[in-house]
Amino acid sequence: MLVDRRKAAIFGAALVLRLLLWILFPSLPDLLTGRVEVSTPVNSFKRLQEGLFMYTRNVSPYDGGVFHQAPLLLPIFSLLPNAREYPLPTAIFYSLVDLANANALVTISDSGQALSGRLHSSLRKHVRYDGAAVAAWFLFNPFTIATCLSRSTNVFTTSGILYAISNAASGNSVNAMLALGFASYLSIYPALLFIPVVLLCYDQRVQKKKVSTNAAVFAVQHFGILLGSVAGLLGISCLVVGDFWQFVSATYGFQLLVPDLTPNVGLWWYFFIEMFDSFREFFLGVFWLHLACYVGGLTIRLRRQPLFVLTALLGIFAIFKPYPSISDASLYFAFLPLYRHLFSLMRYTFFAVSALLYATLLGPAFYHLWIYAGSGNANFFYAITLVWSLGLSILLADTVFAALREEWEQDNPELRGKDVRQV
Amino acid sequence: MTVLFLLPLLFLAVLSTLTSAAPDSDYHEGLVLQPLPQSSLLASFNFRSNTSQESFEQRHFRYFPRALGQILQHANTKELHLRFTTGRWDAESWGSRPWNGSKEGNTGVELWAWIDAPDDDGAFAKWITLTQSLSGLFCASMNFIDSTRTTRPIASFEPAAHHSSSQLHLLHGTLPGEVVCTENLTPFLKLLPCKGKAGVSSLFDGHKLFDASWQSMAVDVRPVCPESGECMVQIEQTVDMVLDIDRSKRPRDNPIPRPIPNEQLVCDTSKPYDADDTCYPLENTAEKGWSLQEIFGRTISGVCPLTEDENPGKETVCLRVPHERGVITSPGASETRNPDGLSRCFNLEPSSPFDLIIPEQEALTQVPLDEPALSAERTIVGHGQERGGMRIIFDNPSNSSSVDFIYFETLPWFLRPYVHTLQATIIGRDGIRRSVPVSQIVKETFYRPAIDRERGTQLELALFVPAASTVTLTYDFEKAVLRYTEYPPDANRGFNVAPAVIRLLGLRDQAQSYEYYSPVYIRTTSLLLPLPTPDFSMPYNVIILTSTVIALAFGSIFNLLVRRFVAADEAAALTAQTFKGKIFGKVVALRDRIKGKGSKVE
Repeated sequence: MLVDRRKAAIFGAALVLRLLLWILFPSLPDLLTGRVEVSTPVNSFKRLQEGLFMYTRNVSPYDGGVFHQAPLLLPIFSLLPNAREYPLPTAIFYSLVDLANANALVTISDSGQALSGRLHSSLRKHVRYDGAAVAAWFLFNPFTIATCLSRSTNVFTTSGILYAISNAASGNSVNAMLALGFASYLSIYPALLFIPVVLLCYDQRVQKKKVSTNAAVFAVQHFGILLGSVAGLLGISCLVVGDFWQFVSATYGFQLLVPDLTPNVGLWWYFFIEMFDSFREFFLGVFWLHLACYVGGLTIRLRRQPLFVLTALLGIFAIFKPYPSISDASLYFAFLPLYRHLFSLMRYTFFAVSALLYATLLGPAFYHLWIYAGSGNANFFYAITLVWSLGLSILLADTVFAALREEWEQDNPELRGKDVRQV
Repeated sequence: MTVLFLLPLLFLAVLSTLTSAAPDSDYHEGLVLQPLPQSSLLASFNFRSNTSQESFEQRHFRYFPRALGQILQHANTKELHLRFTTGRWDAESWGSRPWNGSKEGNTGVELWAWIDAPDDDGAFAKWITLTQSLSGLFCASMNFIDSTRTTRPIASFEPAAHHSSSQLHLLHGTLPGEVVCTENLTPFLKLLPCKGKAGVSSLFDGHKLFDASWQSMAVDVRPVCPESGECMVQIEQTVDMVLDIDRSKRPRDNPIPRPIPNEQLVCDTSKPYDADDTCYPLENTAEKGWSLQEIFGRTISGVCPLTEDENPGKETVCLRVPHERGVITSPGASETRNPDGLSRCFNLEPSSPFDLIIPEQEALTQVPLDEPALSAERTIVGHGQERGGMRIIFDNPSNSSSVDFIYFETLPWFLRPYVHTLQATIIGRDGIRRSVPVSQIVKETFYRPAIDRERGTQLELALFVPAASTVTLTYDFEKAVLRYTEYPPDANRGFNVAPAVIRLLGLRDQAQSYEYYSPVYIRTTSLLLPLPTPDFSMPYNVIILTSTVIALAFGSIFNLLVRRFVAADEAAALTAQTFKGKIFGKVVALRDRIKGKGSKVE
């Protein structure tokens, strides 16, 4: 009861904070919508509005270079009143989506999969945050608030991923696949999470003794469910917009081939601005392969902790996906408090956090110098994105180290706290 | 012998009957000069020839330029309009545009044509053929009119009424950044039957033409069917220019403007400080004196003998000045005054040079200038290289009638407009700004959004502006960042955005009496769009730095994943067994031996 009251207080405070920001600073949402760190070509609310404008006037929104988001968002948003004239319904809608996401995080935290699962059991089970604290981490993270205020459609992908993981952690494997299908439908990269999500489902089902088949058959069955859900959503989209290939090339083709090089916090945009034309396709392939290669490595090595694999992959996506924004980083940061017990094993926390703060503070300043003041050039902002990516990857590598170290200590309890080397 | 002597004569006679048997081909040229306020002079040259459709198709070219005719036939082009324009028409001082703006083009090069093709793709292929060929013919960069610069306007242009084919496709392309210069004038002159050697075209001099405040060269090819008789193919070449009289009169070898010598200054003697060494100069109220020789640097060398008129040289040169204005012409030329009292024409001697001298004279009456029915202004607003806004202001000066028009603009793909931000405001004569719903001003919209690197934006609006009011349209846009190879060498200058074309509607009734419907066009100025630029010296550095960050992440994570943990004390023992450890052990042993040896010696 006490926990419930805490949770309600946190959720209420988060909702009030968002609505207050909306009401007290009416120009803040539009300002954030225009920030490159928050809005990318694949999740910008302004582009969604443009697509919606064309959709409501019976023009194909995909017959143009502006709108690259999933078609199902169009009928959903056409139900909401015009965001320019009546901003409050949209504000409430986005705030509620944020609360729902936090709720999924609470479920994940309460399932305890971060601490012990079928194949692992942490030595530091007592060092943990409860669900409400994890939700508070997520809801009061400035990055999450900025994403919510900017009305970035990334929050729906976040919902899909979070519900996929929370359903997997509580054993609802079919729901997990449907949610993952929704996330993959919105922006294809969540499909890469399929293997760890299925492993998490499988472990959970085995733990509850609900499953009799072996892992491979289980995975194939669930892959079928994932494909079915994506196909269903694509089918509905086809009914919504008509021309199938046009929207597929405008949404998925756009995300895969990265033709729009608008600056963002990631590594792709400046690299592909400066890339020689003849090598563009080659490096596109290399970058995508690089993004996908972590799935195998992490899943095999950390087979015993599928939830940690998911966390690490979300961190990888926040750094290396084609159009990252701070909302991807906020999703990764939301998972870190689940691993409170690993914090004591991390070595470079100070350095990583300093790098991230440095990039957060200087990023907007350097962008201003380049675009508005004209006293800096593109390298200023590029350098900051490098620092940001470096900070995130140090944090990521550090958590991977801590997770491996913890796993090793589970196997060798007598060596706990001793100096270790890797060979 | 007599037969042999007569043979050429007979041949000539046959030739003359042949040519006279084709009365359907004719040629006409003319020049209209009109002084404008602010010591400017508008010179409108017009060259028009007709060829019968049949002889055009059989490639029997007489006045029609063969080079152009073959291109048109090869590209299945039924109607062609080509414009080369520089400068800006100052409608505030100069009034409405010559030819109602229909012979004017966008700054740079503008081209539109009706192409006969079974489908859109076929039409586009022929269009590319056409632009490539014209590019070669006119020494202009028209080969850069690719799919991103080509549009298919719906309502802004209308074909001549007499097309036989029903599968006509209108394609429109524009190059706002093209610098029009002498190399475009030379091929233009070569299309003329007299090639600039005789007739009014002998006045063309690249130095003067491209020094003008505003100039527009036009080539129009269109089918014309008279009431009775065979259809013709008409080619009309037009050059309009507004010359600054003072500037043109400066000698070419000494073009620097100098102050008026003291003795020529007209001083205001009413000023108290007026003395021999101090002068308050009075503005010269007299109209400037000029002559063709001074303005164009040469005189008209006779009459183009190919004009088919019964009296060649009749009313070739016309001058729009009041009748009381004194004009001196070359001997031999005669003058015809128009009854309206405002213009006169001159009949030229076939083979003697013609000059026109207009002495300086106090102006008593002025030729009235037509007020334009609509004035339009288009600017980019906002700051920063990330996003901006377009603002278009339409001003209707009339106090009684509203103006209906089509507004047509093409935007390059790297300018991404947000149409949902389109807003309209109206300011009446009372100066109060009122926001109105766009649908109240815009009656119809045709919008084709851009696709990156494939096609540009096409926006056509059917608008109206109420009487005595100013309408402002605004919308936001975003500027794309290009790949570094897509920037021109002068990337920080900005990118040219083509002017908007405005076609006034509702003036059709007045125009019915003309031989063909002549619409009224207005064009705004072209815009300069600065885009964010990357650092062009950085490709290798960026590839190296980004790869380093990726390698750091990849290396540190996979380094953790592929190794196993051992306690620090076990690690030394384990490393000793590896190949590296063995070599290291050997090195240590060797070092110890050398050290031991050394100590022995000591």
